[in-house]
Amino acid sequence: MRHKLKAKRPLRRRPRPVRRLRRIDPISVEIIRGAMETIAYEMATHVSLTATTPILNQSNERNATILDARGSLAALSVGVPQFMLSSTLPVRFALQFFGPDGLFDGDVLVANDPYHGGGHLPDYNIFAPVFHDDEMVLIASIQCHHADTGGAMPGGYNVDAHDIWAEGVRFPALKIYEKGIERRDVTYFMKINNRTPTFLGDLRAQIGAAQLGARRLKEVIERHGVEAVRRATDYMIDYAARRFKEEVAAWPDGEYESDVYVDHDPKGNKDIHIHCKVTVRGSDLTVDFSGSDTRENLQAYSTFGNTRGYVVAQLASMMDPSIPKNEGFFNSIDLIVPQGCCLNPPPERSVAAGTHHPGTEVGEAIAKALEQVIPRRCCPQIYKMGMPTVIFGKNPKTQQLFIDHSVDTFAAYCGAVYGQDGWGAMNVSFGNLIRATGEINESIFPVRHISRDYAIDSGGAGKWRGCPGSLYIKELCAPSQVYTYVVGMKYPMPGIAGGKPGAPNQLKLRCGGPHEQTVKTTAFYVDHLPGERYEYRYGGGGGWGDPLERDPQKVLDDVLDEYVSVEGARRDYGVVLSGSLEELTLAIDESATAALRHAMRHPVESCQEPSEPQAPSHEPRAASPEPRATNPEPRRN
Amino acid sequence: MSYRIGIDVGGTFTDFVLVRPDGSLRLFKSPTTPGDQSQGILNGLQQLAADEQLSLDRLLSNTSVIVHGTTTADNTMIEMNGAVTALLTTQGHRDEIELRRGYKEDIWDPALPPPPAIAPRRRRIGIPERLDYEGNVLVPLDEEAVRKALRRLQKLGTESLAVTFMFSFLNPRHERRVREIAAQECPGLPVSLSHEVMPSAPEFERTSTTLVNAYVGPKIERYLGRLVERLSAAGFQHELLVMQSNGGIMTPEYIRRRPVTVLSSGPTGGVIAACTVARAAKTLEFVCADMGGTSYDVCLIRGGQPEIKSGWNWHHRYLIGLPMVDVQSIGAGGGSIASVVAGSLQVGPRSAGAEPGPICYGRGGTVPTVTDANLLLGYLNAGDFCAGTMKLQTAGVREAIQRTVGEPLGISTTEAAWGIYRLVNANMANAIRKISAQRGVDPRQLTMVVYGGNGPVHATAQAAELGIRRVLVPKTSPAFSAFGLLLSDHVVDEVRAYITPLVQADLHRVNALLVQMEEAARAVLMARHGRRSRTEIRRFANLCYPGQTFDIAVPIESRGTLLSSNDLTATAERFHALHEALHTYAARDEQPILRSLRLTAVGVTDKPELPRIAGGKPRSARKGTRKAYFDGRFVATPIVDGPRLRAGQRIKGPAIIEEPFTTIVLHPGHIATLDRLGNYRIDLS
Repeated sequence: MRHKLKAKRPLRRRPRPVRRLRRIDPISVEIIRGAMETIAYEMATHVSLTATTPILNQSNERNATILDARGSLAALSVGVPQFMLSSTLPVRFALQFFGPDGLFDGDVLVANDPYHGGGHLPDYNIFAPVFHDDEMVLIASIQCHHADTGGAMPGGYNVDAHDIWAEGVRFPALKIYEKGIERRDVTYFMKINNRTPTFLGDLRAQIGAAQLGARRLKEVIERHGVEAVRRATDYMIDYAARRFKEEVAAWPDGEYESDVYVDHDPKGNKDIHIHCKVTVRGSDLTVDFSGSDTRENLQAYSTFGNTRGYVVAQLASMMDPSIPKNEGFFNSIDLIVPQGCCLNPPPERSVAAGTHHPGTEVGEAIAKALEQVIPRRCCPQIYKMGMPTVIFGKNPKTQQLFIDHSVDTFAAYCGAVYGQDGWGAMNVSFGNLIRATGEINESIFPVRHISRDYAIDSGGAGKWRGCPGSLYIKELCAPSQVYTYVVGMKYPMPGIAGGKPGAPNQLKLRCGGPHEQTVKTTAFYVDHLPGERYEYRYGGGGGWGDPLERDPQKVLDDVLDEYVSVEGARRDYGVVLSGSLEELTLAIDESATAALRHAMRHPVESCQEPSEPQAPSHEPRAASPEPRATNPEPRRN
Repeated sequence: MSYRIGIDVGGTFTDFVLVRPDGSLRLFKSPTTPGDQSQGILNGLQQLAADEQLSLDRLLSNTSVIVHGTTTADNTMIEMNGAVTALLTTQGHRDEIELRRGYKEDIWDPALPPPPAIAPRRRRIGIPERLDYEGNVLVPLDEEAVRKALRRLQKLGTESLAVTFMFSFLNPRHERRVREIAAQECPGLPVSLSHEVMPSAPEFERTSTTLVNAYVGPKIERYLGRLVERLSAAGFQHELLVMQSNGGIMTPEYIRRRPVTVLSSGPTGGVIAACTVARAAKTLEFVCADMGGTSYDVCLIRGGQPEIKSGWNWHHRYLIGLPMVDVQSIGAGGGSIASVVAGSLQVGPRSAGAEPGPICYGRGGTVPTVTDANLLLGYLNAGDFCAGTMKLQTAGVREAIQRTVGEPLGISTTEAAWGIYRLVNANMANAIRKISAQRGVDPRQLTMVVYGGNGPVHATAQAAELGIRRVLVPKTSPAFSAFGLLLSDHVVDEVRAYITPLVQADLHRVNALLVQMEEAARAVLMARHGRRSRTEIRRFANLCYPGQTFDIAVPIESRGTLLSSNDLTATAERFHALHEALHTYAARDEQPILRSLRLTAVGVTDKPELPRIAGGKPRSARKGTRKAYFDGRFVATPIVDGPRLRAGQRIKGPAIIEEPFTTIVLHPGHIATLDRLGNYRIDLS
């Protein structure tokens, strides 16, 4: 199925003459491109303004795209790159399913099925074809993450699910509006298959956005003419492809491989393995995941659409940011993901948890493979969260059920890159996700945000240092249950180009009482009494480059700022400081530093651990799972 | 009668508007003196007095009002040369300012640098203390920890202190105690307390605002002190007034307590002028656009009032959580540079500024700009630019556009110039579309009010692009930013947090907070303003649906000062209706959440009359023709001398109207009519 979704068959009612009769003038292209990006922005803004669910109006987890009649992405407005980039395939399925005569002016469709191009069930795609003289020209599409999607568990993350049906209701492609008329049977059916009372409102916000996009695109077509819009779209896509290929052509030819792992899936299957081979040949780039985990009993799969999204998002972060992200960019990647492996599941398996893991590890694998070629551009745009720590309970103030998804402010997983220490909270890819605050959430939920300070020494050491993770402490003020899934303990955020990994995750529940416990894989509804806390040591970002090359002055600054301890400076960076932090008399002991760094660079034979004498503070425990047999018949994108 | 003077300091020029006792206006520009802007102001006033054939002392002692717009705060943030600032927070919340709720400005570039630190981590210290969401003390303030922290910060050279404790806006006791301790430990240290700077949730927004306040405060205080001293030494006997970013003016004494309110106040003068002039022209729903040399500032006006935004205002990479006139800016102006990057034309955001400026200024500029393209297209008068103070030269312009744009794109020089004009117009139109999208407004229903020297060259083309049918260009528009200062009222904003579902709100508490705010605001206005003048009080409830992030300021109405429970119900209903109008739907089965109460007190000032234009028999104002580019070819275009036009005269496009400081381009089919108030009303339909 997936391989059929490649955009190649234009959907047309009457034959159109061969393209590029004339070159379109580049200024009109630029103007049409600007108009499309503005429309995508207007659509996304419409959802933010009109949705009632925090994940939509607060976290910006919505992505607007404009596609051509073949389902090729032309322009976008982004919430989270990884998710936005998986929004074209469901549209292509609908184009195929309905065929050239099955879609009409005024139609609005919905799709969410991972096995028909989607990422996971809570991501709903709503799209509206745009017609001109009875011919489809463009498609306005908007994808949003909804708070619930039916199924066995509220919220769509059923880490206990054994198949896709246990995760929620599937919509491969369904008309919600036909020829401008709402299909009340469909909206009613959707409403009763969802737990959240606000679902229909959010869906309407999304439908409104798609209709707004379609209306505005019609204006653009009327203003510039249908041929100009078509040519401009083609030109934009060709342009992105050309820029992409120019970048790749500058990389040295070769095959670059990497192996990365997820600690475990929610069922406890250990060391989920991702194998990645990136081949650079001239201006061609092939990304091949053959050899990745094919165990049959995995709980969490990344769908093909999701895998593709992470591939593109990671590569986009490693290229000139000014290259447009459209089909020309995507199509330039020859992507091979064998069906049956953890990155392209066998039919009808459960995928919700897999969106994140092994989904994000796709980005990590690409960064680790290309670290050998273009290390300066490598910084895995990912996270090692497992899933958010969800708190359920009865709110004593209102006597009603509350669900705190803990999409709170804290730092985690933010890596360094050449020339820049990791900073802030998360990697740049997630810079559009605005996080919740203590003062608002404590006023709504019976919880207390005790700490989110950076934990000292938790950022991976490097010539450029990874951002520390937070020591996150939350107190529960009413009887509550905590539900979550934790990874990144055995395999934390990796270092790049000789940088050290970030500190691993650690989650302790029921702190402050006799029942303190550390989460090993998952926590299923762990009861907490009022006054008990959970303590999440979120992992730090990886470092970039050899820590022994870090300017000692910067190390001293880090110690003064308490990102790094005096001890950490010595152990991880080989920088010896004299004086006291307390008294503000710290100074670099130049000769001792030179001697220590020399000794660390040239370990003496008598040393007991010849490979790593400096013993970085949080090297992952020696992890060498046996390689697994992989599916021999790869399918191509 | 006396003089009034508006002084707006810009990056290159300081604009002065003098309103003479007879009501006539004079616009004057003088170079800005970086470093200490008050020097340039005095120089300019000296010159202005000389032009009026008065001594400086004579002019100033006969001046009743001086209103000032300053960029000192913005420059401090651009150059990052404010006070050495430290921050005390609740323990566990030391890093809010770095975490920024996860926000980053560019999601594609992993090498995006962090914002320059106002208070690096070593100067941020967490203090054991904690309040709950109702303001009850959970952990008492550890005074010894405060003393210890202050001693450490002193060693680190701290010059200004910010304090942000969790929920301090509900119970300021701990923050106030820190000020007392600081007075003992570090006498003279300026202290910004978060509950005074921004008394509302959430903690990141309040921390950022308070920190910026502490950082720019000492500089602004010194600057205003110096300016007041200089003006009074020169003979000015009244109190100076300063423009704030909320669109209101206040005294230096008031500004000193919350200096952050002058940050990004630059564009507000123009917006106020646009509102006043448009109101007189009976236009209440419009978008105003200011196109200068480097930026294009857009603001949406509804009901004659500018949109005020107090949520997600980012300036210089810090968040300012105070009510501000919602002006949005893109890098597009007369000096915007045109270039071809990897085969696609780009105009802006890079700008040639005023120095060296466009090639045609002849000051050494070598890269083609929007103004160069406009000259080539025949829209600008090379011999008489900027009230005759400048001549534009064509030498090198054609070649540069051909080389930089024409050749790489394979098009002619004229096509390249036309392309620059089209693209910058499209960029500006998109900026207007975005700001109207954020407010859920269809731009086609709006009028466009245009000012700034370069605006009217482009406005009609942008309006056509947006489907806007009416454009208003006031003759005073080149002086708007300074003129607007004289048209502003005193504005005091107060806010009090109260987070609760509105149905559960304690009416006594709501009333107590409203009364408290009104008393505070009136006290401030009274001190400056005297009893005799009119004060308008506007009260708002900031409401949202459960789970929403951004709230809406809903006007509160009541018969008397105190609200009844019916008034609260009516407020909830008004919220539903407003939400529906703004965002297409209302969720009437949901209970709105109250986030905070807000009060704006406006002390209405006496304002100068708007100048009028003589009517009478139409007279020919045509001063010749010039070849200008319209509809794909150069046509002989009538050039109209604006100052000669009488009220009621009509001009049909294609035509170019030249005013001393601006040029209006009328495309074919556009008709401009000059009204009695000196507005060109341009009809595009």
